[in-house]
Amino acid sequence: MRVVLAIAAKDLRQRLRDRSAWVIVFLAPVLISGLMAMAFNNNSEFRAELGIVDLDHGAAATGLTQVFESPELSGTVRVHPYGDKAAARRAVDAGRAHAAIVVPEGFTAALSGGTASPVTVLDSVDFGLQAQLARAVTESYVAQVNADRLSVATAVAAGVPREDVPELVARAALSRLPEQVRARGLADDPLKVISYFGPSMGMFFVLFCVGFGARGYFVERQQGTLDRISAAPVGRGALLLGKSLSTFVYSLAGLGTVTLVSWLAFGARWADPVGVAALSAAMAVSVVCLTALVIALARTERQAEGLASIVVFALVLLGGNFVFASGTSLMRRLTLFTPNGWALRGFTDLGTGVRGWTAVGAPLLGIAVFSAAVAAVTALLLRLRRTA
Amino acid sequence: MTALAVTRATVARVFRDRTALFFMVLLPVAIIVVIGVTVSGFDQFRVGLVPAARTGPVARELVSGLTGAPGLRTRTYDSAADARTALRRAELDAVVVVPDGLDAAVRDGRQVTVPVLVEPSGSAGHAAVSSVSAVVAGHAARLQAAAFAAGETGRSFDDALALARDTDRAASPITVRGETVNGRSDYLPLGYSYSTPTMLVLFVFINALAGGAAIVQTRRTGVYARALAAPVSARSLVLGETIAYLLLALVQSLLIVAIGALAFDVDWGDPLAAGVLVAVWALVGTGAGVLAGALFRTPEQVHAIGPALGIGLGMLGGCMWPLALVPDWLRTVGYAVPHAWAVEAWTTLLSRNGDLAAILRDLGVLAAFAAVLLTLASVFLRRRLTAGSGT
Repeated sequence: MRVVLAIAAKDLRQRLRDRSAWVIVFLAPVLISGLMAMAFNNNSEFRAELGIVDLDHGAAATGLTQVFESPELSGTVRVHPYGDKAAARRAVDAGRAHAAIVVPEGFTAALSGGTASPVTVLDSVDFGLQAQLARAVTESYVAQVNADRLSVATAVAAGVPREDVPELVARAALSRLPEQVRARGLADDPLKVISYFGPSMGMFFVLFCVGFGARGYFVERQQGTLDRISAAPVGRGALLLGKSLSTFVYSLAGLGTVTLVSWLAFGARWADPVGVAALSAAMAVSVVCLTALVIALARTERQAEGLASIVVFALVLLGGNFVFASGTSLMRRLTLFTPNGWALRGFTDLGTGVRGWTAVGAPLLGIAVFSAAVAAVTALLLRLRRTA
Repeated sequence: MTALAVTRATVARVFRDRTALFFMVLLPVAIIVVIGVTVSGFDQFRVGLVPAARTGPVARELVSGLTGAPGLRTRTYDSAADARTALRRAELDAVVVVPDGLDAAVRDGRQVTVPVLVEPSGSAGHAAVSSVSAVVAGHAARLQAAAFAAGETGRSFDDALALARDTDRAASPITVRGETVNGRSDYLPLGYSYSTPTMLVLFVFINALAGGAAIVQTRRTGVYARALAAPVSARSLVLGETIAYLLLALVQSLLIVAIGALAFDVDWGDPLAAGVLVAVWALVGTGAGVLAGALFRTPEQVHAIGPALGIGLGMLGGCMWPLALVPDWLRTVGYAVPHAWAVEAWTTLLSRNGDLAAILRDLGVLAAFAAVLLTLASVFLRRRLTAGSGT
């Protein structure tokens, strides 16, 4: 055991003397996740600045304005009244309003039949979602007006005499839409951008340890260090274990630093610190296994460097390290073929208030299966190479 | 002539390196695909649908209305638990749970509540609820008309509903129409037209920085020292290396442009303006790469700092997300890096049909960046070669 620790300590000392490694494992992920936290600090909320032009001056138009100012929308929508359509157009054109609703003259009168001009939503190409909201709220409101008009028309089509229409209009006005939407909030914590991107960037840069470890192995082989260690009374197992331990500790330290800084400096939140530690440790194990695989596959330092880079970028692209909680369902399925994808799923669940085995059980198993598969392939390759 | 020989040797060395080719072409294309797929559909709310266990024609019509709504990107879930998990993981903005017994309740004349689950602190969910409400209201209008007509005439609800649907098709309801005021976008178009130009900007720069590692390696292995011992001037070496990395940046840019146009259907806008922009950006990247090759002491330093610096500057300059989305102070900082000016120029070309004149200011700033970087690179590399005997 002492030999294993001595080899690990020697490797770690060497690694810590390399300032480039410091930059990539500790500094870069902290700076980049910090940049992401700052970029999206006040951007997690959806806001709509909506203009309203009331050319109707009737009760129906006032009702529509009140809907936009209702408590349900008060956290999302800010209403700006404009005197005419031209003023609203100028506001949308200048970006002061994301969209504007123009209620036409005669809108209230149309409640009791007759025709009315369309309600117009002025939009800008850069605020599609806000325009969609303005349009949806207006359509919901207009739907009640149209429902009353449709009720009368359907009753007439069903056989009610046309001379009864005035009474029908009055009775239809008392109807209410039979389906109502009601929003219900989930009890979970919202996922913060930094709770995702902190560990995500940590993993991205820690995966570069695969390249450091593999390159280090070939450099030591070239310099004869490995031969000298082999000449000493040190078994191959102890040598392998010592080197794996140093890679594990270094990777874990990198991930630990990023999660700690994300938590303390940028406000990342995870429900269960033990879960965070378990995911980080599992991820460090897979870095060790991947390093061994690259060493088994490569024959030179240059090959190891190139292969490690390809493995790192393939994993982060498949694992979703650059994509925040979106993408297609196929992309989400592909993440489950990577240890970092599983770890990110675990961090996402921990970031939304899920605790313990429920949050990290499946991710830990997924990472374990990946690491075991990589270790098995590595062992097979080494055996094949020995027999060859 | 000597400079061109240096250029030939450097370009040949890079083309023999399969790892370099991976970073030059395959990796940018892979990232273009991932980001292109990710940034599509941002103008729609992501809504999960959980159909009722016991469903009927009314409930099915509601689900079909929600699925076909242009403002919603829906995905159907088998269970409410799965949909809630997706909502919790921020994969959805809202979840519509179609209630059991909707058909029966509507026929009985009872009011039905359609629950929509949202993340309470996020306002995108509440905005998505409004979009769902519009679809539900349109559906409910026909149900109200059917119930009203059935009540007035004594017909069955189903007969009246069929009549309401026919009447609705023939009716002239009050409509809501859209009118686009501002067609000049401040953003790149979504999808691959977003990811391809931004990744061109990002990877030409990162790859040029990685080229700096090769310069450091050549310095350390004494190749420059041996060349300087021959009748080759430091100026020829610097010029040769600069032309080589400029050619590589141009080849990489042209490959990305070609792949974007042919595989991802990206319209690069005015060809002359796009060509000048590609050339000026290649000069910026070359300047940064040769400067890295002159300043860093080991290739490992370049490998460690290069990608982190490239990604960081790319983020600051709007390669990963539009600068219009970030706080004002961060946007101002973003314009201190050349990436922001390149992305802005691409936005003018792709989103506003701009020509060479429209991006002259951006090109001017980029040319200034290129001039400063190339001058510094040339000065430092020559100093390094002459003062340090080629190392």
